[in-house]
Amino acid sequence: MSPATVAQSALDAAGPQSAAIEWLWWLMFVISTAVFVGVMIALAWAVRRRGDHPASDAIMTRWVTGATALTVVVLFIWLAASVSVGRASGTPQLKDAVTINITGRQWWWQLEYSDTLPSNRFRAANEILIPVGRPVVLNVTSRDVIHSFWVPNLHGKRDLVPGYTTSIWFQADREGTYRGQCAEFCGLQHANMAVFVRAVPEADFQKWLAAQRRPAADPASTEARHGRDVFLKATCSQCHAIRGTQAGGAYGPDLTHVGSRATIGAGILPNTPENLQRWIRNPHQFKPGNKMPPHDLSDADLAAVSEYLRILQ
Amino acid sequence: MAAKDYANTRFSGLKEITTDNVASLKPAWTFSTGVLRGHEGAPLVVGATMYVVTPYPNNLYALDLTQPGAPAKWVYKPKPLTASQGVACCDTVNRGAAYADGKIFYNTLDNHTVAVDAQTGTEVWNTKVGDIAVGETLTMAPIVVKGKVILGNSGGEMGIRGRVTALDATTGAVAWRAFHTGPDADVLIGPNFKPFYPSDRGTDLGVSSWPADMWRTGGASAWGWISYDPELDLIFYGTANPGPWNPDLRPGDNKWSCTVFARRPDTGEAVWAYQYNPHDLYDHDSVNEHMVLDLMFKGQMRKLLVHPERNGHMYVFDRQTGEVLSAEPFAFVNSSTGVDLKTGRPVMVTEKKPITGRVVRDICPAAPGAKDWQPTSYSPQTGLLYIPHQDLCQDVEALDVGYIAGTPYVGANVKMYAGPSGQRGQVQAWDIVNGKQVWKIQENFPVWSGTVVTAGDVLFYGTMEGWFKAVNAKTGAPLWQFKTGSGIIGQPITYKGPDGKQYVAVFSGVGGWAGAIVAGNLDSRDPTAALGFVNAMSDLPQHTTKGGTLHVFALP
Amino acid sequence: MRSGFAFALCLILSLTACEREKRELSPQPTRSEAGLATDFVAGAGALQPSGNPAELNAPALSEGKTLFATYNCTGCHANGGGGMGPALMDDEWIYGYYPDQIFRTILEGRPNGMPAFRGRIPDYQVWSIAGYVRSMSGLVRKDAAPGRDDHLSGKKPESSTDKMQPSNSAAPTVP
Repeated sequence: MSPATVAQSALDAAGPQSAAIEWLWWLMFVISTAVFVGVMIALAWAVRRRGDHPASDAIMTRWVTGATALTVVVLFIWLAASVSVGRASGTPQLKDAVTINITGRQWWWQLEYSDTLPSNRFRAANEILIPVGRPVVLNVTSRDVIHSFWVPNLHGKRDLVPGYTTSIWFQADREGTYRGQCAEFCGLQHANMAVFVRAVPEADFQKWLAAQRRPAADPASTEARHGRDVFLKATCSQCHAIRGTQAGGAYGPDLTHVGSRATIGAGILPNTPENLQRWIRNPHQFKPGNKMPPHDLSDADLAAVSEYLRILQ
Repeated sequence: MAAKDYANTRFSGLKEITTDNVASLKPAWTFSTGVLRGHEGAPLVVGATMYVVTPYPNNLYALDLTQPGAPAKWVYKPKPLTASQGVACCDTVNRGAAYADGKIFYNTLDNHTVAVDAQTGTEVWNTKVGDIAVGETLTMAPIVVKGKVILGNSGGEMGIRGRVTALDATTGAVAWRAFHTGPDADVLIGPNFKPFYPSDRGTDLGVSSWPADMWRTGGASAWGWISYDPELDLIFYGTANPGPWNPDLRPGDNKWSCTVFARRPDTGEAVWAYQYNPHDLYDHDSVNEHMVLDLMFKGQMRKLLVHPERNGHMYVFDRQTGEVLSAEPFAFVNSSTGVDLKTGRPVMVTEKKPITGRVVRDICPAAPGAKDWQPTSYSPQTGLLYIPHQDLCQDVEALDVGYIAGTPYVGANVKMYAGPSGQRGQVQAWDIVNGKQVWKIQENFPVWSGTVVTAGDVLFYGTMEGWFKAVNAKTGAPLWQFKTGSGIIGQPITYKGPDGKQYVAVFSGVGGWAGAIVAGNLDSRDPTAALGFVNAMSDLPQHTTKGGTLHVFALP
Repeated sequence: MRSGFAFALCLILSLTACEREKRELSPQPTRSEAGLATDFVAGAGALQPSGNPAELNAPALSEGKTLFATYNCTGCHANGGGGMGPALMDDEWIYGYYPDQIFRTILEGRPNGMPAFRGRIPDYQVWSIAGYVRSMSGLVRKDAAPGRDDHLSGKKPESSTDKMQPSNSAAPTVP
């Protein structure tokens, strides 16, 4: 069901930032395991030795001092490692970075691809395409409550706080689709707020950018045209935007290129015509309590709308 | 025309009323328009007839000045759509008519431009130039240049696409249409377009300076004053604010909002343009009057264009090239530190920039600017500009907003209040050449009426409490005042009647954006009402009620 | 025994808030007919207004407040004080103040410029918005009305605004 091609795991790093975090994790894991094993051995030995004459004070002191010293050393090693990983994945000035502004919404991700030329800026939702090997800077905020952006294969978490913009940067060094999710409880559908980051070759990325910058495709077939009519006359345009039409709502995701997305509902369903129809008919079947209302459109109208949305590649 | 002349000077050569005798000015007659909304218009006198356009429903009366009491000869009722009242941002006003070639031309709120026979009152033609379904309306006074009626639309708060249209004065057919956003072909920018400043040069800037496709709902209407220089054959006018108000939603310079255009009246092609407020942050429309004046400026006789801008600066241009010769502040401004004359761009103050989801406080001038549409007048005798305006500051919270056709596309909570002077209104006399104030009069409320100045050195203006005042144009000393029935926000005129006497006329009837609290019965417990103006005007209902009367005065 | 009694008392008290705080997770896309535009009925008939269950429900009123901004109602009505459109927080109602009359006003529009939202906003959302509109003049229960929000507004929150008894609309009369 998920378009992710890589297991969503912080232990399968695809970029330098997550690699550093993974390295830190393994360091801590190895040392912790060694400490644990050592402590268990010492405990077992102490239990076996129970009844023999107790060790002298001097020996006890030596062991305790030694263990304490070792603990302090380990903690300092961890401190140094942690600080160095933190600094390595901080946010430096990056030229040639792809800049994306992300706004967390209940319960989806609003994306705005930035550019020095204003007319190259466009909005999308939930599925982030990035080029392999280029740094990506995300400027993140929220419109309602605190969310948190977390794609474990690529980096750690960054909280999206309303009224406050912060940033995070990462880089994907290999192709793949990485799944992420909201990591700060944000309401009823917090668990169903997935985000997908697709890392593709540079040429594919430029092609995708060019396609996304274009306004919505004009429907060619009668059914798709009817679908557009239904879309514009019903509740849809109050919340959704399709650039190139009268629909300019900003409460829900931008649908100008919704056909090019692998999932709908922030990862809740694969993007197929049947699923689109089921979603539009009653989104609460899949994400109860989310902001999109149900619709009692006829089957024909629903099919037409899903056909129209399908051609919006 | 409403502005008195193509140069928009609003100066009258009549000298019967002087500073010595104006104190004895008396009411001569009155006329009730039958409408209780804001009266921002100017009556129009042609020969022995006065033409009066009312606010919505935009009835046109022809008053016979040869008869005592000036009875109406006929009335023309265009019957605009009632629903158009719901898409007019700033009251259902009308700013006046124009006369040419035996016809009266004016705009109705629901986007019709009409031509009415000046003798008989029959409709000659009626052309629809816009659609209320997308939030468009018309409120401005058109002008007629070389056989074309030129008008601009309203609706910058509704996400419309602003434009100026020229209609053939004989037939009403569309001669040309210039949009203010979008590709150069739509903006009528061609090979002869020579803007003075580099940031106004480039191809299709009306597209590239907006995020993808936002120019389609970019506002940049043209609801203000158009002037004309017959010698250079150029019309001059400014465009309004970009939409939405929240600037975070539209990064880029947002061309061609807040821009002055110089165009050829025959074809509409743009000859030069200058953007006053690139990436406007405060709804500082640039639609105020552009006065065509030839003055001695810094030792040379120059062809100037003078424009008091919403952003608080008095711009003086060379109107042949569009070069800004000076831009001195005529009001208190803390949102910018001035205009860089080398690049032509204002230098904005970062701390005063609106941010989505945050409240930014104490921004001066507020959204209506240091001066809104209310027109200035210029006296060649005193050499001074007479500016009616306001002193308001604001707090603003920028918000997310979606475009829903026919509904407002704003995205801001605003709260306005009096500026540092503590007095919300002012009339000042300004020395253009030296760029400084000569005298000022402070008023309790914004001076939302226009001014008219005469060769008798008398300056007339009205206050929002309803006082119609005459002051000495040289010194500002008060000379005469009369309390009318309702606040005055219209444009005073003076004319010579058929009996040879000089008359002064003004509408009284409060409203407009500033008077919305009265005209719309708004509730001052919500300081963000009327886009924030209600907070600054919460005491207005104690000083005036609604009204709709034309007052005419003369010496006894 | 005393702790058992205290526990039972707390349990009973906690249940009284259930209706007010209940969230409707799967609203129905129903359509309904309700409300006249005026209370002036020929033949001195009785006006039978229908109630609005959203007015007893805090999440519904809060959602109404959010939708009031989302659908650009604030663009004309500001935060209740009005602007292009009339004030909604005062005691004067042009087209009626009963819940179903406000519901009708939103769905059908009104002649002097109120747009029609029938088919654009689902009924359950219109009821939420209508409930919120009444809360602006204090006509709904204080404990369900929205509280102070984090926006520049400056007016009193709906939960503490004075109740503005509608002045120019008559109460229903029974023949």
